[in-house]
Amino acid sequence: MNLTINNSSVPIPDEQRLEPLVWVLRDTLGLVGTRYGCGIGVCGACNVLMDGKVVRSCQTMTETAIGKTIITLEGLAVGDELHPVQQAFLENPLQCCWCMTGHIMNAVELLEANKQPSPEQIDDAMNDNYCRCGGYNTIRANVERASEIASLQPASKRLVIRRKT
Amino acid sequence: MKRAAKPKPDAATRWKTTRRRFLIAAGSLGVLSIGGYFGLEAGRPLLVDRIEGGGAPSSPAPSNPNLWFEIKEGNIIFYAPKFEMGQGIQSALAQIAAEELEVDWQSLELRQPNSQHGFAPSFMFTFGSTSVKDLFKPIREMAASLREMLRTEAALQMGIDASSIDIKNGVCSLKTDSSKTLSYGAVVAAKKGEWVLPKTPPALKAKNQFTTIGKPLSRLDAKSKVTGQAVYSMDAQAKGMLFGAVARAPRFGAKLETARAGQAESQVGVVKVVLDVANNFAGVVAQTRTQARNALKFLELTWTGGTSISQAEIDTLVTAKAGSGVVIRNRGQSNLQGDVVTASYRTPFAAHAHLEPLAALANVKEKSIDVWVGTQAASSDESAIKKAVPGDRSIKIYPMQMGGSFGRKGSQTAAPEAARLSAAVGKPVHVAWTREEEMQQSFYRPPTNTLLQGTLENGTIKAIQQVTASGDILFSVIPIPAFIKNTIGFDFGVLSGQFLPYNIANYQVRNQRVDLPIPTGPWRGVGLMPNVFALECFMDELAVAAKTDPLEFRLKHTNNPRMKAVLEDVRTRSGWATQAPIGSARGVAYCTAVGTYVAMVVEIRLEGKQIIVERVTVSIDTGIVVSPSNAALQAKGSVVMGLSSTLLEKITIENGAVVQTNFKDYPLLTLKATPKTIEVHFMDSSEPPSGMGEPVIGPVPAAVANALFALNGQRLRELPLAL
Repeated sequence: MNLTINNSSVPIPDEQRLEPLVWVLRDTLGLVGTRYGCGIGVCGACNVLMDGKVVRSCQTMTETAIGKTIITLEGLAVGDELHPVQQAFLENPLQCCWCMTGHIMNAVELLEANKQPSPEQIDDAMNDNYCRCGGYNTIRANVERASEIASLQPASKRLVIRRKT
Repeated sequence: MKRAAKPKPDAATRWKTTRRRFLIAAGSLGVLSIGGYFGLEAGRPLLVDRIEGGGAPSSPAPSNPNLWFEIKEGNIIFYAPKFEMGQGIQSALAQIAAEELEVDWQSLELRQPNSQHGFAPSFMFTFGSTSVKDLFKPIREMAASLREMLRTEAALQMGIDASSIDIKNGVCSLKTDSSKTLSYGAVVAAKKGEWVLPKTPPALKAKNQFTTIGKPLSRLDAKSKVTGQAVYSMDAQAKGMLFGAVARAPRFGAKLETARAGQAESQVGVVKVVLDVANNFAGVVAQTRTQARNALKFLELTWTGGTSISQAEIDTLVTAKAGSGVVIRNRGQSNLQGDVVTASYRTPFAAHAHLEPLAALANVKEKSIDVWVGTQAASSDESAIKKAVPGDRSIKIYPMQMGGSFGRKGSQTAAPEAARLSAAVGKPVHVAWTREEEMQQSFYRPPTNTLLQGTLENGTIKAIQQVTASGDILFSVIPIPAFIKNTIGFDFGVLSGQFLPYNIANYQVRNQRVDLPIPTGPWRGVGLMPNVFALECFMDELAVAAKTDPLEFRLKHTNNPRMKAVLEDVRTRSGWATQAPIGSARGVAYCTAVGTYVAMVVEIRLEGKQIIVERVTVSIDTGIVVSPSNAALQAKGSVVMGLSSTLLEKITIENGAVVQTNFKDYPLLTLKATPKTIEVHFMDSSEPPSGMGEPVIGPVPAAVANALFALNGQRLRELPLAL
């Protein structure tokens, strides 16, 4: 079984087909940027992008990802060049940051679809992830900032999940 | 690398070494045995001092620069001996160190020292908002000493007098010719002969000379976190690592009676089933985490004993009764005469709900045990590991980044569990708890009930009688014999925020300790938030009885200038004197904790039976603010966590077990429910820094409850607030 993760094809042991994707990413592939928080799809720390859409990797059976394109936190930057959303969270970090991956993934999905979201649209898109350290207003501000960073970039790069070539 | 000279107990002034280039890589030495001299095995006396005196240091901070710095050509590594759980402590301590060392803060590379690095075991604790408060002076003194040692050495190497050298950004340059320079790294690399620590630390900069302390710098670990490179305890990996899972008792206090592997051994991926009935342990090691957890279900286990207590029984036990418990404050005449205002307040069990559950990787070998774990108390973990894996092995703890803790990881068992399983298979084993385990098998913020009775005379408080009943907080996590607990009669942890900080001539406080069969322990602020909820709601009730504005009523009962200042500041900033928007109302609350003064105004409205918090204004005097950006995050985060507790969080017990299983029945506050305006203001101060991790959570529930009363006249006296 092979999965396409961050634009590489990676082999996965067959006996892990029915394991939650979060553990295959973290324990088997060492992509620990995807977090575990609740295992029931509530907290959102395990968000990854599957074919460009946010999914809870704790609720995603590994075999369902076959043939799909998975992007994790580690796959957002190209070399040293951070994704605008990462750049915004770097400028204005959360605290423990265990939940941050999930928020970043939500924001990437939002901004890919809507380059300049209104505060209400940001609240709607970012509401279903927890941040126990209480950084919700940082998160709100960072999505706006990421939108601004992206708007300053050349059109060709704008908010595309930049893929390694 | 040779062993460093063993320091004497009074080494701080006499310490020197003859090793050349000692500043290079000295921190990576295997064994430095400084620890024992401070003689503080566990935190108990420290905690008593801290809580009673409000300002005692955690432990004497070692002034040996070797422990704190490695100076290399090109970079300086800073070993911050405090554990990072999101509070930004390593970056804040680096900000303190950079100031007197005269280096660019960004040039410091943070590295978490392990338990054998050389810091005293009593130093390997991070608790009670004490890190910045306790280390502010020692780190500056030590950094200043190091700077002067480097100046002296640079002068020697340049063949001039030390007074002719300027130091800036880690570079020594000749005052008269700034082209002649030597970097710290170059000075250390070319070192000949001895380094001698100055007998007394050099004079430290005054506040108005600070160039790094007080600047809104971010965090040194931000980049590693946004790219996914930061390594948390759940991320720890080792070659050939296996995964463990541990069986849990169905109710608190139950012991394993019989254990058989059953079908567990034949499940896919299972490497070993580990059963140890005598030590109440049953676990599985497998190739993957999912396989280990799956195999657990096939173990054949029976459990015996334990508690079957219900929430109703607990509520009865945790009921404050006039005249019960022990008197812990007795001022003036305690008898109440005339019209008595009486109120009783309750707070429930609560979970820490840190988002990264407990996790540890252990590698047990013949002579050594290495453990990578997210912890607030590395030396406690060491004792627990020693107990779990008997034998004469040297134990090294590598404290890891934590995805939140809030008290939880000061007393955790993932490390001994991983060690047990690793010892059984002879390979590194990683154990990570599930959310269900965290929700159901943890220890909890204890339930409390506070009974308050007060009288007024001419609009001021005449007398107050208070009884606080609470489950244990620190007694449950510090090994103290039962008879001593009973002799002392109250738990120190409950003391945080226990007393009304106002001028009250006649004030008696009783503490009624409740020893529950449910594990309870420290939760952000220990007793602070439950205590302040009761006390500050009661202040409001008295203000109403006195027909006085609640904020004015508080000001009237204090002459502490710092307390007055934050109350007056929050009055102005919140627009207290102005009419709240239609349909909204404001409430105020105040607390002092860990030397920090916090005044808060909350503005709410109602949507049906839902309390909507619109705006929170906080004025804080925490002395000198070392890291304004991190301090603001701590304050805002405390507000959000406090609101979550105020509006949502409650653990209940039935049949000796926790009813809630996960976030679906223990929801946390979300982004939309968080007020967009949380305004935090720090008072300008030249006082030494005090605590910032916990104090701001104190006033949150009372401020909301008081706002609700102002809005609709309804007085809610139990958390979470439910209309």
